[in-house]
Amino acid sequence: MADTPEAIKKSIRTYLFIGGILFAGTILTVLIATVPALDMGAHGFDKWDCIFGLTIATIKASLVAFVFMHLNHEKKAVYWLFASGLCMVCSLAGLTALALWDPIFDSFFYSGH
Amino acid sequence: MEIPYIVTPRKDTGLFNAKIAIWLFLASEVMLFGGFFSSYVFLRLGADYPWPERTLPVLPGLINTFVLIGSSVTVVFAWAALKMREWRKFQIFMGITVFCALIFMVLKAVEYNVKFHHQALRLKDYSIIEGHLGKELDGDKKEVLDHNGNPIEENLIYVEASKLTFNTRRFHTPWLEELLTQAEQHKSTVKLTADLKGEEGTSDEGKIYAKSGELLSIEFLNRMEEIRKAATSNNAALRTTALRQEWVKAHAANPGKRDWQISAGVNIDLKALKPKMLTEISTVTFTVDPPAKFDFHPRDIKAADGSSRMRDDTVVEGKLLDSPMGFHHVDAIDFQYLVMKAVEKGIEPEIAIENSWLIKNNKFAQEAWEWHQGEIVKLKAELLKKGGLDKDGKPRLFPTHKELYRIGWKDFAKKTEDEGRVKLSSSDAFKEEFFGPNYEARGDETFPELSVPREQVGFAAKFSPAWNTYYGIYFTITGLHGLHVIGGALVLSYYLFFGRKMYLTNPEWLANRVEIGGLFWHFVDLVWIFVFPILYLM
Repeated sequence: MADTPEAIKKSIRTYLFIGGILFAGTILTVLIATVPALDMGAHGFDKWDCIFGLTIATIKASLVAFVFMHLNHEKKAVYWLFASGLCMVCSLAGLTALALWDPIFDSFFYSGH
Repeated sequence: MEIPYIVTPRKDTGLFNAKIAIWLFLASEVMLFGGFFSSYVFLRLGADYPWPERTLPVLPGLINTFVLIGSSVTVVFAWAALKMREWRKFQIFMGITVFCALIFMVLKAVEYNVKFHHQALRLKDYSIIEGHLGKELDGDKKEVLDHNGNPIEENLIYVEASKLTFNTRRFHTPWLEELLTQAEQHKSTVKLTADLKGEEGTSDEGKIYAKSGELLSIEFLNRMEEIRKAATSNNAALRTTALRQEWVKAHAANPGKRDWQISAGVNIDLKALKPKMLTEISTVTFTVDPPAKFDFHPRDIKAADGSSRMRDDTVVEGKLLDSPMGFHHVDAIDFQYLVMKAVEKGIEPEIAIENSWLIKNNKFAQEAWEWHQGEIVKLKAELLKKGGLDKDGKPRLFPTHKELYRIGWKDFAKKTEDEGRVKLSSSDAFKEEFFGPNYEARGDETFPELSVPREQVGFAAKFSPAWNTYYGIYFTITGLHGLHVIGGALVLSYYLFFGRKMYLTNPEWLANRVEIGGLFWHFVDLVWIFVFPILYLM
């Protein structure tokens, strides 16, 4: 970790640069969603907008985690803790995906009840 | 005892205490928010109504994103300043961070406030009207106030009540107060219809508890409730004693038998008990003289001509009057749900829309729909020019369901602007991005009045979790995130305003604390990075 005053002084420029990238990424996401010329895939919101938007969001979130939260040079214990949380989320989201095999789209939902 | 590892790291993990703790906490937070994002996906995939796509105002959301990213940068600067022992710089950067949190919460509050005052209505035919309800006015065009002194929205059920029957077990005092206020306004008296007497054959037979003609009051009903309670507990005690005696008798008559073998024969003789019992007054009926026009909130009453029932089991007898729902300003007409239902039944969308109550009965809706169809023709031509035809000769790009079947407030605004009837200053137009349509500036021409007869009303709600699952998950996720912003801001403010003493005695400890608070703050920013595109842009 950047602990000495010299190292911290150096990393301040990195923080500013990452902040700039985050701002730019946000603007790009909004432009893709609102400017017809930049619309991905078919006209309007579709899976390509979703994939693109979430990819940018994931990149932004990773930058925050790795640079601002210092995950790029942390101790082992922190990685274990955070990774276990992420794994739990992935399995939880995976449960949602199970709906593909056990669909909730039965006739009850579409019969005007 | 001195606590170890609050400043220096432990040798084996290389971490000080608080750092382990915050990462454990953040891991649990990841799971919490991950769970809610999963619910969002689940709700969206399983929605049985057209999902409100890109429905939130983008500009405030975008500003909030900038604010949070900016504050993430300043909080890390504040930590760096402490590490370099620059107290003044630390104060400045931490001050900016807390100020950013404040801006975020103000914008969020504006957004919530707009939602809580915006009315949605689904008609029986599944077309949807959005806007603001009018306020009830009296003869002099002044707002009528309810008994709490608040104006009343034009969404009431009117009954010309001649009789009111209260349930002594369940009557709801605030509603009773409201009924009394209304009776007073109409100069009607509410009197007990008949004497309340002890029932025939009971121990209090003929005893008069209240004489007919007594006036309705909260004290009166409370008194009746007390009498009913006393009678109920007296009668219950009698029944219990009698039942115990029956069991003793049954066991004496059937020695050695188990309870379940003799239970069928154990019964109490209620007729024999009746002379000892007291009368339980369960309902009290009052006559309204002369019959008066009472109003009720739709959610509180199940209205029917002749006899309506409130949720506290108060029965209101009398004629059900016209009770239209009055929009002071309509700002969107949405046929997406109607089209979805029509397609399920194999009906052409356009035919279904033309047969809807709105198009058949409202001139403004007709004109707006015609104008909208013209716009769709233009849009289709534009998309054809842009995307061309595929190999089957069909256009490659086509309008979305929302573009085809929803006329939102921006469309209404464009319509009157195109016709050259209304022009807004750019500052007014900018304000609209935050506070929603400006009714005063655009006027009734753009957002007209509309009265919907009660029999057409399917479901009505403000834009709250009651309206649909989208707003349910929207308020859950953004509300939870907002609480995190408040919590984080409080912790950071504590370092800012009460950190000086620690800075002077043990600056490294304070730097560690700020690092921990900062980690939490970055996490709050990280969550918003996902919330913004998912809820505002998709």
